[in-house]
Amino acid sequence: MENGKVPSKHKTERDVYRLGDSFIFPPRVIDDIHIKAELGRYRMRGFSLFKKIPHWDDLTFLPGTLTRFVIEGYREKCDTKTVIGPRAKRPLELDIPIYITGMSFGALSYEAKTALARGATMAGTATCSGEGGMIPDERRYSSKWFYQCIQSRYGFNPHHLVLADGCEFFIGQGCKVGLGGHLMGQKVTDQVAEMRSLPAGIDQRSPARHPDWLGPDDLALKINEIREVTDWQIPIQLKLGAARVYDDVRMAVKCNPDSIYIDGMEGSTGAGPHLATEDTGVPGMAAIRQARRAIDDLGRRGEISLVYAGGIRNGADVAKAIALGADAIAIGHSAMMALNCNKDIPEADFPEEMGVEAGHCYHCHTGRCPVGVATQDPKLRARLDPDAAAERVYNFLHSLTIEAQLFARACGKTNIHSLEPEDLAALTMEASAIAGVPLAGTDYTVGVEDYHHL
Amino acid sequence: MAGVSDTELREMTQEDRVKALGMTTEELTGRSMFIEFKPEEEERFTYPWLPDVDFNKRAEIDTDKMMTTEVNERIRELMKEGYGTIVLKNPRGKHSVGVGILSRLNLIVEGSLGYFGVGLIDGPMVRIQGRVGWSCGENMMSGVILVEKNAGSTFGAAMRGGDLVCRGSVGSRTGIDMKGGSIIVGGDTGALSGFMMQRGRMIFCGNAGKNLGDSMYDGTIYVGGDIQSLGVDAVPTELTDLDRSWLTRKLTQYEMLPEKGVDHFTKIVAGKQLWNYDNLEPSEKKLIL
Repeated sequence: MENGKVPSKHKTERDVYRLGDSFIFPPRVIDDIHIKAELGRYRMRGFSLFKKIPHWDDLTFLPGTLTRFVIEGYREKCDTKTVIGPRAKRPLELDIPIYITGMSFGALSYEAKTALARGATMAGTATCSGEGGMIPDERRYSSKWFYQCIQSRYGFNPHHLVLADGCEFFIGQGCKVGLGGHLMGQKVTDQVAEMRSLPAGIDQRSPARHPDWLGPDDLALKINEIREVTDWQIPIQLKLGAARVYDDVRMAVKCNPDSIYIDGMEGSTGAGPHLATEDTGVPGMAAIRQARRAIDDLGRRGEISLVYAGGIRNGADVAKAIALGADAIAIGHSAMMALNCNKDIPEADFPEEMGVEAGHCYHCHTGRCPVGVATQDPKLRARLDPDAAAERVYNFLHSLTIEAQLFARACGKTNIHSLEPEDLAALTMEASAIAGVPLAGTDYTVGVEDYHHL
Repeated sequence: MAGVSDTELREMTQEDRVKALGMTTEELTGRSMFIEFKPEEEERFTYPWLPDVDFNKRAEIDTDKMMTTEVNERIRELMKEGYGTIVLKNPRGKHSVGVGILSRLNLIVEGSLGYFGVGLIDGPMVRIQGRVGWSCGENMMSGVILVEKNAGSTFGAAMRGGDLVCRGSVGSRTGIDMKGGSIIVGGDTGALSGFMMQRGRMIFCGNAGKNLGDSMYDGTIYVGGDIQSLGVDAVPTELTDLDRSWLTRKLTQYEMLPEKGVDHFTKIVAGKQLWNYDNLEPSEKKLIL
């Protein structure tokens, strides 16, 4: 035996004296404890959750064969027109079931915001102001535009409200349910600070509660106030982080909005505590089912729309979310990726500038985005060409739509909104239990005695 | 606004107005058709459709048997007809009355309002002869609201400009998320007043409840009576001559100046220790929280 190693016929790195690696305390966890012991605070980051949860990949479609008639996959008409808030005098009518969710000017650069607006307009869909108020160019470029009424009321202006096509009350977001927004001081430039009535350079932490209402009773009155200001023209949407979804959505329905937006725990953020991102909320496939059931149980299907966001990457995810009960899908992070997030563009040097390879960056909160998307630095912003970016956003939205249509047609639907839970099967017991669809190849839905009477 | 006159804009529906001002590209369908932003067109973002009213034209609305929406529609109609002084009779605590008035107007409310009274306004002078419920004057941009009796909680939440005055006492969370303007209260205020306040000034001639100015970013709070407790990062500081002069002027303007003057007021400002909270040493955080 030499140097504590067992002699072997073959050279090996294996150390037989080592008992193993800790599952609870792997090196990454130990590093995290070391860092927090130095920092004395939680660690911030952008992006969505890192850990594996039951996700869209755990579901599969059951397309038509002989029991169902299929629609020609690439050409035959499959309607994608989507209406949010049908009861409003002026409902939000979108050409496709996907729109760009609220991301603030501040978290995102001017170029990114306007490119998203232009891309969405080209695709015939909507965008949303996000926190921090309206930038006029975003409104100008957006054919359909949600104005967000958020807890902080940063930049909230009644003159801008009356220009909106919809008003969204931000009550929570999926990746950090129960927490207010964050914008670290590096991104609070003079312009951003002025829009938000804050001193420049400070760490901006939005309140978690709205200032002028506390619970559903007050919210119902607040919704009516906004309706009065906008002459009952536009849909009012409530955005909730997915948590106690069934009860929360029942409460939301009682507030009588035109639309309810559920953000699953797969959703992303520009800045938030790492642990909140990992450990709050419930997955989208659970949230949609519960939200749909809550709206239906109160007899409001067709009156109150259900929008879902969180972890949508491709048209299959879109189609699955619609099949589970969503009327429309909002995307944020994947739209940022269409802009160039995590792309190894020639101007960027990810290892040098961010300390990670492209594809592994989650540093939106630093304001040093090397592709000019999540930054306010003029030099970095110059790396994003808004014209090309808008085109990419359009292309991505179009791709999502035709991919989702592909699944709808395969399942025999001439309207994408005709997708239903019966078009899906689960690949895992967990997915079956939380999405309420049968395990593939069986009639068995985990936790349900008789699936056909769910 | 090439080709569209102010008069035409006033007559348009909201949807047509947005299109006429170029704020929408709804008619665009081709993927290559962009609207380019021209900085010289900045005047598009003024509000020429707002009605021009005459304060000498006076109208009365008996709101007794009207719904809130009917009251608000009637106010808008009268403003379009040029009425600059409107009196609301028998409001009976209706919610959301007088919201979203974005122009000059002399509005007199003969009675009390419910929740969200005259919220989201920009410009009018409002005199409420009774009481108001929660969130009166929330998000007001400019103008004056004068409440003769008491006000509920979240008085002036997220307000940005103008003067919001209550001769009586106000509830909790007054001036929460305040971003500008002045709140002037003749009596006491409840807990958490000035929570996360960002800019502006508040005067309480009476006492203040628990956690006054909690987590305030900036702004100033003046209290004439006792303060039950201060919130996180709210600190007392010396009253300057400028403060005395401003307090005297504002309180005199609304006939609320105490007989003993303003020297006894306590001035509360942000300690600014939370501005870059994450950069603090752990021991410093412990001191603040």
